[in-house]
Amino acid sequence: MLGALSAASLTLGPGSAPAPFTAKCGNDGAANALATAPSFRTAVAVVDSDQLSPEKKQAQKYHFVVANAKFMLDEEEHFKELLFERLRYNGEHDKEQDFWLVIEPKFLDNFPDITKRLRRPAVALVSTNGPWITEKEKKIYHGQWRNSTLFAGREGPWPPQVPPFRLCPQWFMKLRLDRVLSDSYEADSLEEALASNPTKLEFEKPENWVAPYAKYEFGWWGPFLPNGLKV
Amino acid sequence: MPKFYTTDFDEMETLFNTEIDKNLNQSEFEVLLQEFKTDYNQTHFVRNKEFKEAADKIDGPLRQIFVELLERSCTAEFYGFLLYKELGRRLKKTNPVVAEIFSLMSRDEARHAGFLNKGLSDFNLALGLGFLTKARKYTFFKPKFIFYVTYLSEKIGYWRYITIYRHLKENPEYQCYPIFKYFENWCQDENRHGDFFSALLKAQHQFLNDWKAKLWSRFFCLSVYVTMYLNDCQRTAFYEGIGLDTKEFDMHVIIETNRTTARIFPAVLDVENPEFKRRLDKMVEINEQLIAAGESDDIHLVKDLKRIPLIAALASELLATFLMRPIESGSVDFAEFEAQLVY
Repeated sequence: MLGALSAASLTLGPGSAPAPFTAKCGNDGAANALATAPSFRTAVAVVDSDQLSPEKKQAQKYHFVVANAKFMLDEEEHFKELLFERLRYNGEHDKEQDFWLVIEPKFLDNFPDITKRLRRPAVALVSTNGPWITEKEKKIYHGQWRNSTLFAGREGPWPPQVPPFRLCPQWFMKLRLDRVLSDSYEADSLEEALASNPTKLEFEKPENWVAPYAKYEFGWWGPFLPNGLKV
Repeated sequence: MPKFYTTDFDEMETLFNTEIDKNLNQSEFEVLLQEFKTDYNQTHFVRNKEFKEAADKIDGPLRQIFVELLERSCTAEFYGFLLYKELGRRLKKTNPVVAEIFSLMSRDEARHAGFLNKGLSDFNLALGLGFLTKARKYTFFKPKFIFYVTYLSEKIGYWRYITIYRHLKENPEYQCYPIFKYFENWCQDENRHGDFFSALLKAQHQFLNDWKAKLWSRFFCLSVYVTMYLNDCQRTAFYEGIGLDTKEFDMHVIIETNRTTARIFPAVLDVENPEFKRRLDKMVEINEQLIAAGESDDIHLVKDLKRIPLIAALASELLATFLMRPIESGSVDFAEFEAQLVY
């Protein structure tokens, strides 16, 4: 049975992997997204070179973490510090910006399993600097779950009831923020990748503020919005 | 003085041996390694002539308190440097990724300790770091306890530094010494160190997933919070010297650290319950009486007789606080309540 599982997960098409693998992988992994995302592709297809038109742009992969706006922009003050630190670092090393904050991003329309668990308005941190783990290695993990120490000592039927988080790519922002959903998508242009629906943000003042300093100013996220967008 | 922690290095090696555990989740470690290699603060710790000028203006009791604070912080950072360096050395063959992260963390701690030691020279002092290396008094913790305790102390370090930084930015009349201006970038190092311990705990899921883990989590939260509160209340002149109310500062740091810790520990304390602060304040009172009894001119026997009921009272408050109803918590990656969460 294990062998059949490994073979099934190697194809990574919609519905080919058993339910537990798609259920919790970074909160809906590639397989599910393939089934529901006609315009946002999540796997690279092999194409004959003479089918490629000269104008066709190379698809770029974008990784994201997402949660409601209040969490991302109002409650997690260390998040602001991290973004400014990264911005400073990029400036010091002449690196191009490779991360953005997108308020009410359009790409979320293609992740219904994420949006059904999301409070709105939502904000995503999007980056081209993604996790190191490749598609190939994700498949290897699929086959070896039963030996993983995550399940050590657990008796019980297949499939395991515990979400197999180990089988999913992790990246630093997910580790740090924790209470976010994450996944990735492909888009042909930056404009397409970062498209958003205009939204007015408003946060209530905290009930009980015990810090000996004021909150970070509303609108601190301005430098991280895609070009041309106002707060 | 801060404690020098050491651990069972053989057990550490076994825990992270990728030959023994072929399914050890390395993905978070690889990601963290990239973060540490980025070395955000490589050029941050550069001094200027403001330091000596400011130190010369600090006199009276505040000067002594500053010196003591610099000494304690430097010692703590230096001990962190020694532990991480040793772990980096020992894990090289069995898990090179984790070993390299430990080495990069020891790079950070060395920088912090060095910067603090140079600060001491502004006050015409310096810590003999060579002497500290030879110190034989150390506290042994098994690896899993090192994870809990170090996670907490790194995260609490972040919250202490960032709070002082942000408070002084708004109240610049209290910036009596330039080191505080460095805290904003500096404390991101501490925060990242904590993230690494979070990843270590997640890789050893058995330290997070049962009733024992919950009890240990609560125990270490209690120890770390109470130790900080009692220590800071004894050194209240420093916090007042920079314009802070010591207890308010500490409660804010405890509340935020607890909230952060709830992202990984399976249980944390209900620190926002007013009973928690009430008990902490009672412990401060008892501690003050204990110290007074110890410093009195009575003979040893009388001193001990005075101290016994006080120690019993302190233990009773600690136990009562430990037994307060905890808050269920943990990473969304495997917390039982994840299915009910809305993000």
